[in-house]
Amino acid sequence: MKEGGFLRLPTRVATTERGLGAERRSLRLALIEWSTQRRARLYALPLASAALAAVLLATLEPGFYRPANLHVLMQQASVLGLVTLGQLLVLLVGGIDLSVGAVMNASLIIIALMNQHRSALALSLLACIGLGALVGMINGLLVSLRSVPPFAATLGMLACIQGAILVYTKGIPAGNIPASLRPVALVGVGIVPYSLIICLAIAIVLTFALRRGTYGRKIYAVGRSPEVARRVAISTTNVRISAYVMCGVLAALAGIILSAYVGYVDPEIGGNYNLESIAAAVLGGVAFTGGEGGAIGALAGVLFLLVLLNVVTLSSLNPFTQLIVQGVVMLLAVSVFQFLKNRTAI
Amino acid sequence: MFGHHRRLRWRSRTVMVIGVVAVVAVSMLVAVGASSGAHTKTFTVAFVSQGTSNSWAAQLDAVARKTAASLGVKLVYFNGQGDATKQLPELQTAIAEHPDAMVVVPLGQAADTGPVERAVNAGIKVVLCDSKINSQNYTSLVNPNPATATVPLAQWLAKKMNYQGNLLYIGGLPGNGTTILYDQGFHSVMSKYPKIHIVNGGNANYSISTAKQLAATAIASGTKFGGSWGVGGEAVTGIMQAYVDSKVRPIPPNAGAAATNGTLRLAIQNNIQAAMLQFPPADSKVCIETAVKALKGQSVPKNINISTLPQYGDLFPPLTKYYKAQYSDDMYVGTDAVLSHSELAALHLTK
Repeated sequence: MKEGGFLRLPTRVATTERGLGAERRSLRLALIEWSTQRRARLYALPLASAALAAVLLATLEPGFYRPANLHVLMQQASVLGLVTLGQLLVLLVGGIDLSVGAVMNASLIIIALMNQHRSALALSLLACIGLGALVGMINGLLVSLRSVPPFAATLGMLACIQGAILVYTKGIPAGNIPASLRPVALVGVGIVPYSLIICLAIAIVLTFALRRGTYGRKIYAVGRSPEVARRVAISTTNVRISAYVMCGVLAALAGIILSAYVGYVDPEIGGNYNLESIAAAVLGGVAFTGGEGGAIGALAGVLFLLVLLNVVTLSSLNPFTQLIVQGVVMLLAVSVFQFLKNRTAI
Repeated sequence: MFGHHRRLRWRSRTVMVIGVVAVVAVSMLVAVGASSGAHTKTFTVAFVSQGTSNSWAAQLDAVARKTAASLGVKLVYFNGQGDATKQLPELQTAIAEHPDAMVVVPLGQAADTGPVERAVNAGIKVVLCDSKINSQNYTSLVNPNPATATVPLAQWLAKKMNYQGNLLYIGGLPGNGTTILYDQGFHSVMSKYPKIHIVNGGNANYSISTAKQLAATAIASGTKFGGSWGVGGEAVTGIMQAYVDSKVRPIPPNAGAAATNGTLRLAIQNNIQAAMLQFPPADSKVCIETAVKALKGQSVPKNINISTLPQYGDLFPPLTKYYKAQYSDDMYVGTDAVLSHSELAALHLTK
């Protein structure tokens, strides 16, 4: 990050009421101006990369564009997309959430167990969302009020949830995924599954909220500089907690959709999504340091990761070589992205 | 007067005789008791398990506990929590307790080698259950051998494919001992049939959802597969679920699963020709029994290949004879032969 890329703060802190008000106004304007210009440049990068990749794919792996393959890709993108959107919010406020995979796992267990006890599906879905919100709130409270480092707080939460699942299920989750849930992931409009439509709808709302809404500005302000945010009367505690709560809710939603997609009680479900969601967000231009990135970029990162996995699978390379190819391409992508980002920041 | 003295003498003699008889009787009882105690000493066996992590481990533990109780053995449980790094300190604690014997389910083939060797050198009988270590310094290894058990399955699959065509392969966990053995058996057969083209779908890392995603991608590519192979039950479940949801029919024959009620159900319900091997958690019965035999001074084999035992052999169609509709998907074939219905219910294995 170049010095010039960051918003300039007033050098003197006013002491009178009028002076304080003027300072807050100028800080708000600076925040808006900075975030609008900066994001516009950053979004272009992952999108341009995706377009380039699409052209290369058409040449190298024509099977990629088969409707059946695109349908599978969209099914997978909706799950990772939802988790990544939640992770994006947490990363924007300078945090990280390592408990998303455990929330997804818990969602599956709740659905299967409640189905076994003949509970209404809607009730079990509400229970999943409620659990996600509760986990997010606890994470947010730990990070905001107790100043627990986000990594430690959410890692601890991951262990707590997994431990609770094991204690309750004794390692053997009972029940099945209700058949009525499965169309959410398997059926849709044409080749576009309903799950992707849900994911895109949330992404659009989030994009508007982050770009146009007051809440979005608060998120970026808290992530960029909590001190400045506090000076302009933004409650950093509330913003952080809300980001974690939304992340938990989106993880639960992703868990519901993944359960519908897999259609089998997999006790290990969700484990990969902690790191994959972070990787997708970072590939899409979201900064670990907070206050940088957006929903479109994060979804572009998701698309990049899944297209890479898809192409590598289609290529039928040796599984060990597949891992190397995935790793090298990801490293290259991040390096190129950082290079281009630094160039645009000059 | 004289008569009174005679009676007194008789009484004292009687008391003496009774006293001597009592002393002799007590001595004999003590002697007999001590010697019989030597035969009925309660052995202490430390069970260093994989620990609370999945349904396989839960069934393994339940069978081990029941077997130990039935043999009158004191079983001390050490929870590996499904993680090699967490199991290692548990293993070291178990050795420090110096039990009569140990039954270890090694999670770290290399990491567990040193501690197991130390235990053996300290005079503790060590039975390795379901996984091996990088040493021959143990009492007995009780283990299904996927390298040999997969051979008949691969041969069956090749025959079903008429020894030609595309074969979808979904792997296990790279570097994992079981995966390596699986692959040895599979490739030893498939290398004989050059007309069978193996399409690598990737590694599922023993995750059903990952296997399903990989298999769904491979199926959606439009490649026509004459058969599919998954390393373990999770990979096969993912492949079957992917085929069922893809609506591609007929679903090609499949092999490689570790037989569970769930994989059997999927195969039967969707008319999939499938062959499976057994990686039975119920084999902890053999592990505990072997440890007790060793403690009693009986000779035990260095290696016990579970796959060669009649009850743990490979499963071929028709699979309906192995499926138990009253139990849940997570029950492994053979667990119900050891645990009662109520014990299975306590493990959430009944419907």
